[in-house]
Amino acid sequence: MTRRAPIRAASALCAVSMVIACRAPAAHDAGRGALRPVALPDLSRTAEPVRAQLREGEARLRRAVSGSATAPSDLAGAYGEFGKLLMAAEFREEAEICFHDAETLAPGDFRWPYYLAQLYRARGEAAQSTAALERALQLRPRDVAVLVWLGNAYLDQARYDAQSLFDRALAEQPRTVAALYGSGRAALARADYARAAQDLEQALAISPRDAAIHYPLAMTYRGLGQTDKAEAHLRLRGPGEVRPPDPLMLELDAMLESPVAYEVRGAQALDKGDWKAAEAAFRKGVELAPAEASLHHKLGTALFLDSDARGATEQFEAALRLSPRFAKAHYSLGVLLASSGRTADALAQLTDAVRDDPTYVEARLRLGDVLRRSGRASEALPHYDAAAALDPRVTDAPLGYALAMADLHRYRESRDRLADAVKRYPQQPVFAHALVRLLAAAPDAGVRDGPAALALMRDVLAREPRGVGVDEMMAMTQAEIGQFGDAVTWQREAIAAAQPLGRPELVQRLTAGLHRYETRQPCRTPWFDDDDLVR
Amino acid sequence: MSGEFYYPEIMPPGVALFDYDNDGDLDVFVVQGEMLGSAPLDRAFFPPRDPASLRGRLFRNDLHIAADGTRTLHFTDVTERSGIDARGYGMGVAAGDFDNDGCIDLYVTKLGSNQLLHNNCDGTFTDVTKASGTASPGWSVSAAFVDYDRDGWLDLFVGHYVNYRVEANVKCFGLAGARDYCPPHMYPAQPSRLYHNNRDGTFTDVTARAGLSAEFGPALGVATADFNGDGWIDLYVANDGQPNQLWINQRDGTFRNTALPAGAALGAQGEAKSSMGVDAGDFDNDGDEDLIVTELTGQGVDLFVNNGSGVFEEQSARAGLREPTLPFTGFGAAWLDVDNDGWLDIVTVNGAVTQSVEAAARQERFALRQRKQLFRNLGGGRFEDATSRTGPAFARAEVSRGAAFGDVDNDGAVDVVVGNASGPLALLINDVGQRRHWVGLRLVSADGRRDMLGARAAIVRADGVTVWRRARADGSYASANDPRVLAGLGDSNQPVTVRVTWPNGRTETWTGIAADRYTTLRQGTGR
Repeated sequence: MTRRAPIRAASALCAVSMVIACRAPAAHDAGRGALRPVALPDLSRTAEPVRAQLREGEARLRRAVSGSATAPSDLAGAYGEFGKLLMAAEFREEAEICFHDAETLAPGDFRWPYYLAQLYRARGEAAQSTAALERALQLRPRDVAVLVWLGNAYLDQARYDAQSLFDRALAEQPRTVAALYGSGRAALARADYARAAQDLEQALAISPRDAAIHYPLAMTYRGLGQTDKAEAHLRLRGPGEVRPPDPLMLELDAMLESPVAYEVRGAQALDKGDWKAAEAAFRKGVELAPAEASLHHKLGTALFLDSDARGATEQFEAALRLSPRFAKAHYSLGVLLASSGRTADALAQLTDAVRDDPTYVEARLRLGDVLRRSGRASEALPHYDAAAALDPRVTDAPLGYALAMADLHRYRESRDRLADAVKRYPQQPVFAHALVRLLAAAPDAGVRDGPAALALMRDVLAREPRGVGVDEMMAMTQAEIGQFGDAVTWQREAIAAAQPLGRPELVQRLTAGLHRYETRQPCRTPWFDDDDLVR
Repeated sequence: MSGEFYYPEIMPPGVALFDYDNDGDLDVFVVQGEMLGSAPLDRAFFPPRDPASLRGRLFRNDLHIAADGTRTLHFTDVTERSGIDARGYGMGVAAGDFDNDGCIDLYVTKLGSNQLLHNNCDGTFTDVTKASGTASPGWSVSAAFVDYDRDGWLDLFVGHYVNYRVEANVKCFGLAGARDYCPPHMYPAQPSRLYHNNRDGTFTDVTARAGLSAEFGPALGVATADFNGDGWIDLYVANDGQPNQLWINQRDGTFRNTALPAGAALGAQGEAKSSMGVDAGDFDNDGDEDLIVTELTGQGVDLFVNNGSGVFEEQSARAGLREPTLPFTGFGAAWLDVDNDGWLDIVTVNGAVTQSVEAAARQERFALRQRKQLFRNLGGGRFEDATSRTGPAFARAEVSRGAAFGDVDNDGAVDVVVGNASGPLALLINDVGQRRHWVGLRLVSADGRRDMLGARAAIVRADGVTVWRRARADGSYASANDPRVLAGLGDSNQPVTVRVTWPNGRTETWTGIAADRYTTLRQGTGR
């Protein structure tokens, strides 16, 4: 496809706009010269809805350009709006021309240098981005978004005057998280740890969900020598960018009518936990691309999270009609079916997921769990093994394997696996818990080892808070070593802890256990269906 | 490039600079790929002239130095003669003498099973993968030979990337709907592997035993060095889109990842970046190993400055590196003293991984080209972008990936061999370094056979200034470097004193080491 003829303002209009540029306060380099021609790029590889948008945008610009009565500011607006659309579609070269032309026509309109700055920032052209932000700031010296972005740009250049920009932003809006975050980072950069801690802690207090704040705060506490605090914040850190409130960029980000753009918006909404917004975005994506299986799958996920199981099922099934070997859709449908008790159907879906992607760890794990819980523990074993080999980080695999072994009465093997896992994953208490239960209550006397269970329990008690599970395990252990009086005491504590939980069947079971200990009988069931270990 | 946007297409090739025939000059090995998917080879974007050439290539360096010092460089393709048959989708290469016979071997990483190629010391190689137990199937990119347990035998770390199958290639699109390569998070990471050398030609997978299986990410770059100054070699792994890892050697066969508390896992804002290439070097001449890590467009390179005890601070902005690297996607990179002024500079080779929408709209088939960069160390922790002064070689935009650094013409200046995706090899000859004085060292084992990778040299100039350098073949991206140590002496041509700390922790000193030549220092022959 050849390019359309470039759009040029009529020469008379050029002269008018140049005159306007001379009269208007020169917020930028007045030597910019004539408007640059804008050409619609080859759209053959873009999605049809985007093509339509861009053609319509170009048509609007042409109408504005050809209209003899178009005021320069309106013409600037036309260039600018087309520029935004081009930028949203990542045609940044053409967008840059539009914004430059808009800025030439309306040098007092702060939007155009602002969008230019964001465009350069997206391309990594920091110096140009900074220059454009400085022009925008001259036009709107109190704009918080500009102050923060420019402060960030100065930080990238290790300029200590970044601090003054963040201070100005905070003077305008003291609770701007991005300004506090930037101020904290500026302080950290110059090793002013006290100020950094103050600003970053304040940012976190205002916006605890901004997990990205934790990392610079951790580095701040490291600088202060407060290692414990540093480690605590490192554990809490998360991804994301701390951005200032930015209505202009929000507007731009919402412009593009493409399936991928809606998919991205939906994913962002999911990250924020806004299921309804995610659902709306994915639904729109599906409208635009009804044959795209992944969009159906994502919509199904949002619906599932929003507790609409039926809607989710429909979307997962739609995804599979479009793409019968879509492993993720099989998995999601399998999970949904399992949660509603349709075990046979769930197994079929999960089996298909594994068939379609043998490296799909979550599918392997879930298939193993469903098999194990439906009494097919031996069939679960190879899936747990495969999951463990594919991703040794995943602790559900060795745990599931050990539980399956116990279900098969292969208690020694279960014990050995758990003992190995306790060493390999010292930060995961679940393995110690399972091992204690097995050592205290396995039906196989050759596996039971009360003293070993007690030694483990001492570690557990030193590291973990008391609760139903911990108390119950201690009761089992005490009973195994013949200390039934202590077993009774611990079991009563477990019952007391269980009562406020609203789980009467749990209380009933624990009470049955209490009677057992009162009649000096040890426990011979390591775990029960309602244990968190196996749930 | 098939046109189907198969993910592996944007990752290779790696290159190696190593002296395979022990004639004193560096030869070149480059991996090759193949056509992924079911389309025939002639439908590739850039079909090879000779399909039979689609295997790893070995080029012998026929360097001739005349009596007047004039150098004539020429390379001969000796692949056939060498017996190297490295087919499949090659990614990278590591070099090291794993059997201590005095001849450098190669480990080729791939999509699929890797290959260990034993150098038979007669110009030929034998594939000993199966016998050695080092196939490590999956998708590996960077690997490193490293003697992590100080037993005098090189072990092998293999960085694995993601779980990927061609038939399950995910289709990804840009915002406007154009097809593009996927980001790494579309595929789950694969665990990397550590293989212990059993000294009998075989290796044992000790990944779990060493504690390396508990944490892993999609590994792309690997650098080995003693980061905490305890005399034991550690591992730094650059992961794509996930926190990097600093595996500190616990001296008992195990490692502990301290990257996060040490400040070397993430960018300055706590973001997990798309780390590709990595190198360790003492850029500030304070005696410890700092790190440079190349990143994606918009992320900026990372400079992790070591405080001497394995704790780092990210200082790319303060160093003047962040801004000029933001527009680029960097792969191969290294610390090297380009001008031999005694301060380590940085070279990065770049190339995008996602299509420029405009270039695609202009029907450019391979819209990923970027130029290379050179940053000159100004001292005081700062760098200047000196790229514009390097000449046309750096200005040429290519899709660069691997880069091997070494003195190809033995003139005391570090050169660069660059592997370009779907492009020719580039050999960049350094015309600057030899204007100043330098000292070159080959640090070898007691029997003189093997380069002692990981050995550190403190080079003390006549004026008392000390610079620290390390014998290393790993680092950069998917590539293997010249293991010789090259240190710039600036304007001083006086002999230097060299204090070497060997990988086993022992230290020896040599005095009167002449400038402007290479000297071999054999373990056990110093004071």
